[in-house]
Amino acid sequence: MNPLIKALKPPSIWLKNNAILVTAVRNHWNKDYKPGPYPQTEEERLKAAAKYGLDPREYQPYPDDGQGSGDYPKLPLESMESRDPYYPWDNPELKRNFNEPLHAEYDLIREDRYDVSAKLRVPLWGMWAQFLGTMFGTYIIYRLLDNVKMFHSVIPKQYPNNGKTHYTFDSDE
Amino acid sequence: MGNSMGNTVNNGFNLYFHPEITPSPLEEPTFDPLEGFDSGRKKRVMIATEEEMRSAKIPLEDRDYCAHLLLKFRDCRKANWPFAAKCHHEKHEYLDCQYDDFVIRMKEYERERRLRVKAAA
Repeated sequence: MNPLIKALKPPSIWLKNNAILVTAVRNHWNKDYKPGPYPQTEEERLKAAAKYGLDPREYQPYPDDGQGSGDYPKLPLESMESRDPYYPWDNPELKRNFNEPLHAEYDLIREDRYDVSAKLRVPLWGMWAQFLGTMFGTYIIYRLLDNVKMFHSVIPKQYPNNGKTHYTFDSDE
Repeated sequence: MGNSMGNTVNNGFNLYFHPEITPSPLEEPTFDPLEGFDSGRKKRVMIATEEEMRSAKIPLEDRDYCAHLLLKFRDCRKANWPFAAKCHHEKHEYLDCQYDDFVIRMKEYERERRLRVKAAA
């Protein structure tokens, strides 16, 4: 290895003794990503709202049901794809403003992932109606015409030597 | 005599709604084949013999009244191979025979149908 690079690499002895550094370097995570404890008092609530840059009237934490969301704000579940592309976002490529809090499910509702708040062109019941209408409609036609088989208007093929005499339509004279 | 291909769908409905006057394509004619033919009818003649067809390994479904032409056609192909196109005459003769056979079957079907209509009236 290049001695210069080697010199820039953090010595492993640092990592060994520093759990925070190990986590930050290896898992790209640090303790500041973790939400604070669930706000119990009004004062804590206001503090948490200010921390996430939200108006206290808008701020509402996830219920304290053991999921570990802590004081993280419960934002409206609106996928990035449903956001207005013509609004002058600070980050147009992410449709996101500077310092705007991210939804807890941001990794799911990104524009390149799942559109949870999609506005369907055809409502869901309409899609079911189309599907079932096609399926049952086809089945009904099939059942109605099951006994109506098309065929050529000919008698079965005539073979000699089966004990029958076959005739042409010519006169015998 | 109607055309065959154009009536296939109609045949299905006729057989379903009027089974008493519409013959099924699976059943043999029920009337006397000579009824109404005052001067008689020429019999169909089988020219190829059983031994010929067996030795040429003609498939069972091809052992009909045209089998002698099929034998001729196969013989010609074997003699002229690989210039099988030289046997176009034999092939045409064989297919003509099959066509005539089909026409006879269509006529028999129509005869059966008309006699049924007459009997029902």
